Amino acid sequence: MSDLRSPEQDYFKGKWWKRKDVKQVIVLWIVFTAMIGYFSSKFQVIAMGNPASETMENVINLITLFTWASSPVAGFVAALAIQALSQRRHHGDNPPPEAEHSISDSPRATATWLVISALLCLFALIVGLIALQKDDQALLDRNAIHVNVTGQQWAWNYDYPGSTGVRSNVLHLPVDQPVVFHVTSKDVKHSFWVVQMGVKIDANPGYVTQTAVTPNKIGTFDIRCAELCGLLHAYMQNKVIVESKADYEKWLASQPDTGHTTWTPEGAIE
Amino acid sequence: MTTFATKNEKKALIERLNVFTAFALGTIAAIVVWRLSLAFLPADSESAPLFTREDKITLLSMIAWFIGFMTGIGALIAPFRWVQGKDLTHEENMFYAGKDLGIKRYFRYTTDHKVVGIQYLVITMVIFGIGGILAMLIRTNLGTPEGGWIHPQAYNSIVGTHGIIMIVGTIIMVTGPFGNYIMPIMIGARDMAFPRLNALSFWLIVAAAIPLIWAQFIGGISTGWSAYNPLAGQAPLGMNGYIMFICIFAISTMVAGANITTTVVRMRARGMTWNRTPIFIYGVVASVALALPAFPVFFLSQVMSGMDRALGTSFYNTALGGSGWLYENLFWIMGHPEVYVILIPAVAALMEMAPVFTRRPLFSFNVAVMGIAGISGLSVLVWAHHMYMSGWAPLLSAPFMLTTELISIPTGMLFLVLVGTLWRGRLWMTVPTLSIFALLWNFMIGGITGIYLSDVPADAFLHGSMFVTAHFHYTLMGAGLTGAIAALIYWFPKMTGKMINKRLSWIAFWLTQIGFNVAFMGMFFVGLQGQPRRVEAYAEIFNKGNLITTIGAYTIMIGMLILLYAVIDSWRSGVNAPMNPWQAKTLEWTVANPVPLENFEVLPIVTSDAYGYGKAKS
Repeated sequence: MSDLRSPEQDYFKGKWWKRKDVKQVIVLWIVFTAMIGYFSSKFQVIAMGNPASETMENVINLITLFTWASSPVAGFVAALAIQALSQRRHHGDNPPPEAEHSISDSPRATATWLVISALLCLFALIVGLIALQKDDQALLDRNAIHVNVTGQQWAWNYDYPGSTGVRSNVLHLPVDQPVVFHVTSKDVKHSFWVVQMGVKIDANPGYVTQTAVTPNKIGTFDIRCAELCGLLHAYMQNKVIVESKADYEKWLASQPDTGHTTWTPEGAIE
Repeated sequence: MTTFATKNEKKALIERLNVFTAFALGTIAAIVVWRLSLAFLPADSESAPLFTREDKITLLSMIAWFIGFMTGIGALIAPFRWVQGKDLTHEENMFYAGKDLGIKRYFRYTTDHKVVGIQYLVITMVIFGIGGILAMLIRTNLGTPEGGWIHPQAYNSIVGTHGIIMIVGTIIMVTGPFGNYIMPIMIGARDMAFPRLNALSFWLIVAAAIPLIWAQFIGGISTGWSAYNPLAGQAPLGMNGYIMFICIFAISTMVAGANITTTVVRMRARGMTWNRTPIFIYGVVASVALALPAFPVFFLSQVMSGMDRALGTSFYNTALGGSGWLYENLFWIMGHPEVYVILIPAVAALMEMAPVFTRRPLFSFNVAVMGIAGISGLSVLVWAHHMYMSGWAPLLSAPFMLTTELISIPTGMLFLVLVGTLWRGRLWMTVPTLSIFALLWNFMIGGITGIYLSDVPADAFLHGSMFVTAHFHYTLMGAGLTGAIAALIYWFPKMTGKMINKRLSWIAFWLTQIGFNVAFMGMFFVGLQGQPRRVEAYAEIFNKGNLITTIGAYTIMIGMLILLYAVIDSWRSGVNAPMNPWQAKTLEWTVANPVPLENFEVLPIVTSDAYGYGKAKS
């Protein structure tokens, strides 16, 4: 039967753009794109809350951008689906009459679809690469202070090199000061996540990993473990206090020397 | 005379073996080996790591269970014959195929693909039932911020067990029941290429289930389904149950994969060229063919994990020269193809139904095949996107971001085929038709959130959060399970001879879909707010989102229970189904209900594709 189908049947014949269903789809497409883009990005921005670093601002912008870039695709699929649903529905136990055509392909439609999805993919890749480049640059900042982070079941400890061997379990950071974290673990794998600053890196036993951020808001933010690490994983969280440079220096000077003068976290292979 | 006697005896042995003898022999073997190893295994030296002797005993007992069970079910009878230089007689083969055995054949090592298909269907439903109960325990515990009423160790174990059995359930949910029951008829074959391997692949799953249940009583699987080392190395004895479960299940998947691939390549009906092969067959083959390279790696990763625990090796122990990153790599080299093993056949099943319920040809068959092939090819090159934040290879972030985002192109092709088929079709409003719309909605959300996750800087925020959990539930459950349930309703008349209750399945559809979207939208929200995965307690700000998710989860549960009732009730006392209730054109609808033992009296000859719907313009 398939062999009898005439090959030149296509959606794009004559003045196809004047058809009623095509017009309906175009209207629905515009409406859905706007709705999906608006509501999804709103949902995301509300959920992610106030950023505490430029890195997090970039994450929010990136997600919003992706949402708007993909909403035309989602809107198009939704428009076609709703248009299909809006007409010629058949209920009952017996099949409806056959469709009025037997179009089994449309080279123009598939080619357009492929080109557009390839372009969108390329767009996502380029945007991602640019953002990635920025994050990598931050690791090499010469003005950065360095903090060693050690995860263990089920707590985080912070060493402040450059000080007199201060160790704390609440992280203190000066505002607007680039900081590089050197992260490791004493036992199993943890993941160091400074939530409102949008940075995360795993803490692996025996290795040191790096991530960097510049906090730009004074306040108290959350640090959570993002990798299942055993019994009390849910409770492996504490705070980061971002304060003015003067307050930070004052706090640092007031801390006792714990003897952790070495930069290398215990047991780490550097 | 003696020959006659032995022959009689052997035949009698075949007749005597069934699931009960299998359980008995497996249990006896496990107990014997357990007592023996308790008595004779030397004590650990002072310097040995914790658990080693107990691990050896547990693993040995589980291996004994496995061998005992497979012997007891009769898997070894034919191999023993071959060793003796003989083979089964025709009568014995017919007995194995379940001829004239009635209900008993479902409890035996039966080779008929239709029996295996039903067995797979039932075990899939049991798995989803157990996994669903565990999910409800998780959601109930998370209904309030303190969690609290489940002990953290038990909670972690519930999360891990829910994860692994739902993964297994979704892996087999389409290729198991429909790949076995429907696929051979659809391609016009009398059975699978290797019927005994078919029975083997099913009974291996039953054999694998016991170590997993066993594990719950010896400390549980407190590591999540990914069982990362070194956490798995320090986990209680239950971890050995996970290891055995994965090893046996991996063999089952490999056996089934080889069997299905061979069947499709070699046994399609005369005239069924690749252009005329239904798209569902492509989906099934892509799925099992992807599992073929993936599951040996999974097997290996668990063997190494077991050796680290029981034999004191250090594949994954950093302090002794191993690396946890090695485990992560092996795990995800399996783990990423595996999600497409789940997804592809479910989408392909819906693509198979789309022309039937729109009464027009499938839109762009070639693009559908390209999409399936493209996803399969790319899916083996993306595994390290699970490890962006691990610090393993920062330089590889960009290339893995590229391959991951490229997958959106073939995935988009599947969308094009589905919406293209809906466009200007004659919609026949059935639950499978609605499922196509549900899949488009859920898979769109799952797919786009996947693009956020593929992007390294965004992943730095999202990785390890509830956002990821919501994302993969949208793909595996929202898209995958929706497709599998549609497939069940679509092929129910052929598999059971009854029509499924329309009203009940309709109600079940809406309840599960609405509940699903409520539940996982709530989960997206708390993920974006910053709630990590796999936690049993959380901060105040996550209250609302978690409560919404829990309410959604209970709605899903009600929907699933109604569906279960509809399936059982219709199966037992539904309306008898006509031979071809959907007026579809694939070959499985040309055979009678119930399907005869060898499917076709005369093998069919195929002269066109199965999508010749619609009025052709002459």
